[in-house]
Amino acid sequence: MYAVETDKLSKVYHSGLKAVDEVSIKLENGEIFGFLGPNGAGKSTTIMILTTLLKPTSGKAFVAGFDVATQAKSVRQNIGYVQQDSTIDEYLTGRENLELQARLNHIPKDIRTKRIDEILGIIELSDRQNEAAVTYSGGMRKRLDIGGGLLNMPKVLFLDEPTLGLDIQTRYKIWEYIKKIHDEFEMSIFLTTHYMEEADKLCNNISIIDNGKIKITDSPKALKNALGNEIVIFEINSEIKLEQLVSEIKKLATVKDVSTNGSIITVFTTSGDQLIPQIFQQASSLEIKIESISLTKPTLDDVFLSHTGRALREDEGKYDKKKMRERMRRIRA
Amino acid sequence: MTMLPDTYTIFWREMKRYKKSRSGILIRLIQPAIWIIVMGNTFASTRPLIQSVGFSGTYIEFMAPGVIMLTAIFTSIFGGVNTLWDRRYGFMNKALVSPVSRSSIALGKMLAISVISTLQSSLILGMALALGVHISNLLVIFPILLTVTIFSLGFSGISVIVAATSKSQETFWGVINFLGMPLFMLSPALFPLELLPSWLAFVARLNPVTYAVLLIRQMMTGTVQILPVAIELAVITGFVVIMVAIASYVFTREVNKPF
Repeated sequence: MYAVETDKLSKVYHSGLKAVDEVSIKLENGEIFGFLGPNGAGKSTTIMILTTLLKPTSGKAFVAGFDVATQAKSVRQNIGYVQQDSTIDEYLTGRENLELQARLNHIPKDIRTKRIDEILGIIELSDRQNEAAVTYSGGMRKRLDIGGGLLNMPKVLFLDEPTLGLDIQTRYKIWEYIKKIHDEFEMSIFLTTHYMEEADKLCNNISIIDNGKIKITDSPKALKNALGNEIVIFEINSEIKLEQLVSEIKKLATVKDVSTNGSIITVFTTSGDQLIPQIFQQASSLEIKIESISLTKPTLDDVFLSHTGRALREDEGKYDKKKMRERMRRIRA
Repeated sequence: MTMLPDTYTIFWREMKRYKKSRSGILIRLIQPAIWIIVMGNTFASTRPLIQSVGFSGTYIEFMAPGVIMLTAIFTSIFGGVNTLWDRRYGFMNKALVSPVSRSSIALGKMLAISVISTLQSSLILGMALALGVHISNLLVIFPILLTVTIFSLGFSGISVIVAATSKSQETFWGVINFLGMPLFMLSPALFPLELLPSWLAFVARLNPVTYAVLLIRQMMTGTVQILPVAIELAVITGFVVIMVAIASYVFTREVNKPF
């Protein structure tokens, strides 16, 4: 049995938008799985289906062994869901927030107090537990949210962009918590994020989704290796013979992939130190002058961009407008 | 069955939030206070008219049940607005992914709204008594407040229905204001039914508010008679049962759609 398993899962909205398109993923028990993709790629829709908030249009999804469409209640008893935006009740104290969550999750009265104390310890909020949550900082709120998701000791914990909008210190702290939770409770964690570094640090496996479709699934290391171990980036003085140069470089044995952006050329390779002299040789034979050159290691950012492209999303503008309207509404309220 | 504890969980949360909003409690009393003080004195000279249809007290005593109902109507019909907040700020999703049933969420909200409505109305009743409104027997306060609680449950149903189907605050307030004022006006809250033009009196008799106002007025003046009270209770109960049922159904259906 997998912690999460989907088979050709699809969701088509009334507007005709195919938000999720035959997504098949498998999440082993005890694994931290990263779900990555640009804005509007279908991450949120997938998570909403897996947490029983939306019904799939077609395909199957099982969470903790239960079908999300027909055994929603059993799924709900076995998951924790930490949403992207904070869901704490600001007028309630930290403890009351957890108390509410514990009641919602049917945690028996006799173990409720003990469990809440334990969670408060893990998220390091014991000393502020009796203050109204409105006085909490962004990081404390997020910790409280994560604590709420842990209360029922779920088999699968869904974390939707857990470090969005947090400062670097808090982000590192949250990563620590996620690791601690994972080690202590052996939970399976389904994580969505925009931060490649986060996925790289935490996840055993990641899937990259774009336009509703899974582009690739593998471990962060394997994904980076697939691009080659190293990247050579160089700039040339004129773009006239650019294509010729690129096709020559592509013929070289150690080269995995080449991409260009104006006069800047990026070469993914298995052996950068051997490649650099070869590049100079090719360039000089074509009478091209190299302005600058550097050698780096690929990051997950490179993996992400190589699978999803560099173009901004078509619906990016629309998305922003919606966000903006929402923000305005909050200000007015 | 976990329906009862689940309903209580939501009720508990709503009451916690109410208790923490002390300023709101007082602000919401200003409007009914103005009604009772300003309107009550403005129309004091209509006393002979009211006496002509058999009401022996002053005008303020006549309209006090109306203002209690005004408080009940508006507290409960506005009460569902936090459903919209809950959906926008994610509490709703938190509740929806927990094992709590959808109808428990709706019921918990409605119960909390009607209890809050009763608390607010009891303050207005206290204010009326302080202003010299005479009631037949102090013990009728309890059946009066019970009537308010039951009646408010029906109106909280309306509020939850509108909130669950609205996508924005603007829609919610538009619809609620459109519903609230006419329901209050088309009742004997401020003026006796017997003195209304017959078509208005007819419309008022279709309005459940009418029966709640009449019932409370009869209790306050100590003129309770079996048959009218039975009719009034039947209408109010029927209204409440229908509204609560529709609200649970609509709420369950709407929250399963993307917001």
